[in-house]
Amino acid sequence: MENIIRVENVSYKYYGKIPAIEDVSLSIKEGERFAVIGANGSGKSTLLQIMNGLIYPSSGRVFFRDKEVSEKTLKDKGLLKFFRGGVGYVFQDSDVQLFCPNVLDELLYGPLQLGISEGEALDRAHEVMQMLNIENLRDRPSYMLSGGEKKRVAIGSVLTINPEVMLFDEPTNGLDPRTQCFLVELLFALGEAGKTIVIATHDLSLVDELHCSVAVLSEEHRLEKTGSAEDILKDEELLLKVNLVHEHMHCHGPSAHRHIHSHYLFHKH
Amino acid sequence: MSFIESGIEHLGKVIKTGYVQWESASENGFFQRLDARIKVLFLIFFIVIVSLKRELLPEIAIAFFVFGLTFASRLNILNFYGRVLFLGFVFGFLIALPSAFNVITKGDIILPLIHFSKPYDLWIYHIPATIGITGEGISVVAMLTLRVINSVSLSFLVLYTTPFADIIRALKVLKVPDAVLMIITLTYKYIFIFAKTIEDMYLAKKSRTASGVSSKDARRWVAGRIAFMFKKSRQRCEDVFNAMIARGFSDTVMLYGFKKMNKLDAAAGFALFSAGIIFLWI
Repeated sequence: MENIIRVENVSYKYYGKIPAIEDVSLSIKEGERFAVIGANGSGKSTLLQIMNGLIYPSSGRVFFRDKEVSEKTLKDKGLLKFFRGGVGYVFQDSDVQLFCPNVLDELLYGPLQLGISEGEALDRAHEVMQMLNIENLRDRPSYMLSGGEKKRVAIGSVLTINPEVMLFDEPTNGLDPRTQCFLVELLFALGEAGKTIVIATHDLSLVDELHCSVAVLSEEHRLEKTGSAEDILKDEELLLKVNLVHEHMHCHGPSAHRHIHSHYLFHKH
Repeated sequence: MSFIESGIEHLGKVIKTGYVQWESASENGFFQRLDARIKVLFLIFFIVIVSLKRELLPEIAIAFFVFGLTFASRLNILNFYGRVLFLGFVFGFLIALPSAFNVITKGDIILPLIHFSKPYDLWIYHIPATIGITGEGISVVAMLTLRVINSVSLSFLVLYTTPFADIIRALKVLKVPDAVLMIITLTYKYIFIFAKTIEDMYLAKKSRTASGVSSKDARRWVAGRIAFMFKKSRQRCEDVFNAMIARGFSDTVMLYGFKKMNKLDAAAGFALFSAGIIFLWI
């Protein structure tokens, strides 16, 4: 399969001083499920924003379908439309993403900005509402939605663009178990439909469930390792090093004890 | 801390009012079923009529007409007119009250209040020997109060029967640019979000406060939170802008327009316009 996103030696510093990403290179294949994992502050969200052309790297280059994505290249309206229509971003905080008067407007915003006709945009919006089971929310303003509903609408607002790549920043954060389950199923369905799914998360259960390719970022903001979910989740030493597993108290039936362990793939006493 | 508590309580009411507005706008009453464009044009047309009329009778007729529409829209009459009359009293009656006296409005005194031995002239003002309420003055006060009551009830009628999103979109009829509408929408939305944040911050403080807090400390806390909210809103502004860019925004905002008006909208629009003409004529 062809690489759809390529990141080459990318570094990013906030305010030109605080490092967020250090010399990261990776490539994501078309139709792949890909996870960027790391502890808090490791630079996962920054990397996703760079992939979406929302911020630009201090050094290094990013490519979407072999076309460079930079501040300079995105000034070309044709490329901008191609890129924005091809790569969608679901923000961690749905309140940030929902800025239109009501749910229907949210779903129509992306397609209308990309110059899609009103009729087609409406068809897409109705299809997405049906798919996400949010038809009853159609006329509701976003501040009248629950957390789970907001997440569905935020995903819907990107789905109506029908992008090839969907970037999800901490998709399961703050969601109840039922909505998390719905989200995992949706990610599978989108993958089946041929979408490239990229998630930034520290939720190892999600990585395990999606069985995706994984890139691990260290707390020093460097790419520590890439591999399959199984390889990464079995690597106790690596997960310890990047602070994704640690010693903590847990129960086995009535008895509780402390030791380093992961809940996924290995559990050694 | 009482002033903080009452301030927070007020913010809570803002949130509740927004919810009530959304709830009442979703009712299946007469005005709720009308196209928002008809309602916005109706509001502007009738406010102009209310301002043009110079006699009490047409103002009273308009007040009854609005009452009828409010009733047909299944709004909570007591709650609705409670607010309308309060605003009418403060911004109409109290402000216009001095006009009832012969010092401002000349005319026949029907209720004398103060007697002086002789009239006085102070700079450009003439103070007559008897100060009292005139018949003409009462008419002026009644007229101004009715105008305020009618204007407020017309505005509330449209506000309570139209989802905020539709009101914003209806402003397109008046050629307000989409970018401005987007700014109004975002402002309205973030009032709710930040009101909730402020409430949470206050409750977090309250849960950790065991003894009394001096006014000085309370003021310092409020000032610190204002600065925090300012920073937070700036950060939010950047985040929302990024979210807009991620969904294809480049330089112009394009909002979804309106569906076509149906026969009910056309008939109601014609009826409301005709009623307006009649009020203009009488």
